[in-house]
Amino acid sequence: MSMVTITLNNVQCSFETGPQETLLQLLREKAGLTGVKCGCELGECGACTVIYNGRAVNSCCILAEQAGGANIITIEGIGTAEHPHPLQQAFIDAGAIQCGFCTPGMILSAKALLDRNPHPDEETIREALSGNLCRCTGYSKIVEAVQLAVSRMEQEAQR
Amino acid sequence: MKQDFRVVDHYIPRRESMDKALGQISYTDDLNLPGQAYAVVVRSPYSSATVLHIDVSEAEKVPGYLGCLLPDEVPAALYNPSGNPPAELLLKDVHVLTKEPKFIGDRLLCIAAETPEACREAARLVKLEFEINAPILNIRDAMAEGARQIEPHLSDNNIVRHRQVAQGDVSSKGPIVLKGHFSTQPMQHVPIEPTACLCDFSSGRELTVYSNSQTVFQERRIVAEVLGLKETQVRFIKPAVGGGFGSRQQLHSQPVIALMSKKLKRPVKCVYTREEEMTAVAVRLGSEVDIEISAEEDGTLQSFETNYLANIGPYTVHGPTIVAGASRKVEYRIPNYLFNGYSVLTNDICGGAFRGYGNTQLSFGREILMERMAKRLGMDPIEFRLKNHVKVGECFPGLNTPVTSCAIEACAARANEIRSRIDAAEGILWNEDVHQAWGTAFATHGSGPSSREGLSSAVIMINDDGTVRVLVGSADIGQGSETMICQIVAETLGAALEDIQIKAADTLLTPYDTGTFASSQTFVCGNAVTLAAQDARDKLLAQIKETEPEADVQNAGTGFTISRPGTAEETLTFREAVRKVSFNQHGGVIIGSGSYKAQASPPPFVVCLVKAEYFPKFNSIRLLHIIEVADVGTPINRLTVEGQLEGGIAQGVGYALMERMELNHLTKKTLSTDLLHYRIPQAGDMPPTHVEIVDGYEPTGPHGAKSVGEVATVPVGPAIVNAVSAATERELNKIPLCDEFVILSHNAGRRSAT
Repeated sequence: MSMVTITLNNVQCSFETGPQETLLQLLREKAGLTGVKCGCELGECGACTVIYNGRAVNSCCILAEQAGGANIITIEGIGTAEHPHPLQQAFIDAGAIQCGFCTPGMILSAKALLDRNPHPDEETIREALSGNLCRCTGYSKIVEAVQLAVSRMEQEAQR
Repeated sequence: MKQDFRVVDHYIPRRESMDKALGQISYTDDLNLPGQAYAVVVRSPYSSATVLHIDVSEAEKVPGYLGCLLPDEVPAALYNPSGNPPAELLLKDVHVLTKEPKFIGDRLLCIAAETPEACREAARLVKLEFEINAPILNIRDAMAEGARQIEPHLSDNNIVRHRQVAQGDVSSKGPIVLKGHFSTQPMQHVPIEPTACLCDFSSGRELTVYSNSQTVFQERRIVAEVLGLKETQVRFIKPAVGGGFGSRQQLHSQPVIALMSKKLKRPVKCVYTREEEMTAVAVRLGSEVDIEISAEEDGTLQSFETNYLANIGPYTVHGPTIVAGASRKVEYRIPNYLFNGYSVLTNDICGGAFRGYGNTQLSFGREILMERMAKRLGMDPIEFRLKNHVKVGECFPGLNTPVTSCAIEACAARANEIRSRIDAAEGILWNEDVHQAWGTAFATHGSGPSSREGLSSAVIMINDDGTVRVLVGSADIGQGSETMICQIVAETLGAALEDIQIKAADTLLTPYDTGTFASSQTFVCGNAVTLAAQDARDKLLAQIKETEPEADVQNAGTGFTISRPGTAEETLTFREAVRKVSFNQHGGVIIGSGSYKAQASPPPFVVCLVKAEYFPKFNSIRLLHIIEVADVGTPINRLTVEGQLEGGIAQGVGYALMERMELNHLTKKTLSTDLLHYRIPQAGDMPPTHVEIVDGYEPTGPHGAKSVGEVATVPVGPAIVNAVSAATERELNKIPLCDEFVILSHNAGRRSAT
């Protein structure tokens, strides 16, 4: 076993880890962050997406030991019920959430996109979300939610 | 008729969606119990075999290994895992664990350990010896002369049930006769949440199961029966569920995991890998369907005859019920109708319930033939369908329940308007590089089981501050039924939506419901909830009268009026009325209850139009637009109904274009064990969708509502094929279309630089 230190939702944390443990396992089981969902453990569904040094990645495809020093944001780190992130509120308002299992990963992929491109067009949004599978919504309301968040964030910035 | 509503017929965000957006809601795998162990099911790698020897000696050496369950250690009784209520068509043929696996993924034994990783390592080290049979993987081979019998105790020809529905005489045909043979593939559900259960039977007396379940009461009944328990000893709890679509309308591994918990005297959790999710979870039945239709020169349909063969896999589960369901979903006025349906056993992946439940497969060929018939007659494909469509008061072929609401003409008119708007903006290209064309399909389904066996009940308890607690057995699996139910309660009771709290799908705490399947929730559970809310409202009114014996007390809007002799009329809101009776000398506690046994299964209707393009030089196709306009009666929650339509479209796109369990012909095993080798539509694959709800009102439904879940996906496959057929000028009879064409994602080549 070895120790790994990461900045998790803006707090520095250390965990004991082993050579076979994935970042996904560490986040769910040791950090108790069950908003990180496990859908395939193969890097195919995107449910376990976290923002890793500014980029949306599948946490099932990163070994915990590799994550030493990384800055990691999970769904738990971007908003609260009192102060949800604009993307979280927009997903609710647009009806972009059905079963909700893809939602944390979807919101984080969208956030990683908006962090680097605050005014994406529809195709860019769809491309950015293509690593996050959703079986319930057909994606229309998810794309609308991202666009709604963009316009609300633009209005907020102009205030 | 259409009314103005206060709470239903609005756009309402889901009540649990904040928790989901924050990542704070718990699915089965997010739950843990003290002392919990983990288990995996060791599954057959062969489609047909006999296990000769099981050696777990190496597995036992894995650190953390806790034990195993072998076939001889579990009850030998056969059961049917289907989450349907008991019926003659549900034959019992499944073992908890088997030594004679009949498909890849059949359960052989179960291994438990302290961690999921130790479980998998131990399972890998189990040594199994088999005698292997040549598998029967399709309908043709299963029905061939001399074929090996897959379930000899049920059938001597690999056909478990023949379903016939007849009306009139199909030898009486119109002058124009068209026929076709249509093939559809098995399709996997692919909910993003893997199948999981957490079972606590450590006491050996009382079993608690947390699992992704659509039908908790059926699962309780079957598990109690298999384990020899009373239903009071078994509790099923449904946590948040990450999608169902029918896949959780049958027991998965709960029985064996419960037995493992009993053996270890510890709670045990089992979560499927994605490979198990792809290969061991029941699929939509593949089908081979012959259809012949005939019409008069003026376009009046005269006859419809079909021979419908369903590949149900090696166990009956839902098979015969699915075939029966298919026979009841033909929405055209056809005097001469003959449906012959056969459930065919194979060693292919086990079949089960999937959104559309048999209807999808028959509607596929039917709507393709309807399109060809319209063309043959020189009629507009929508006009031809409308001419033959049943109207209110008429029955579907072979049925005797008249349709009580139908707004199909409004659906068609609106769909045509949307198409015209698109074509005015974009035109329809047809040149040597690209051919664009539209295709049409209509669809219907039921609202609840079309066998009319839907049953639901509800309890409504009113708290002394005027807030309300609703108990229902029906399961929200992501489709939004809990919010829908709360809206119905608020509307009926006169309470505010934010004052309604719901507890659902826990067999200890909530009253009976047949389950979340057959698009039942809105109509069947909604009717039960309406009755319970009316009961509560009536009791509240009666109690106000008891506290005001001298006064005239009346319902007035959402509140009440009290007219006392000689004084001005007093008005009470719902909350005020509750407070008045709760602490009054003559007051009491208000508890309403209701039970609804479905007397009908009113059909919703959808018109679907698809615009596709074909690039002849590359033999490639792309979807450009999909329109769905629906008559669902009153949409209880417009946001949810739109979401169901859009999600149903996406599943139809996957079905028509690319989803299939690809077979390695050398090993006779599927390659589609993950989501790269089984592609479901991604965000960039989906064309623009245009969904709308027309004004409709179902007189037998709660506040006029019918269903939406399944009907949304049924027309999409044939509408896509009809569009691609028109664009390619080829007759197409088979999906997925990726076997024939290169599929271009909608987003391909459109993305701007980022």
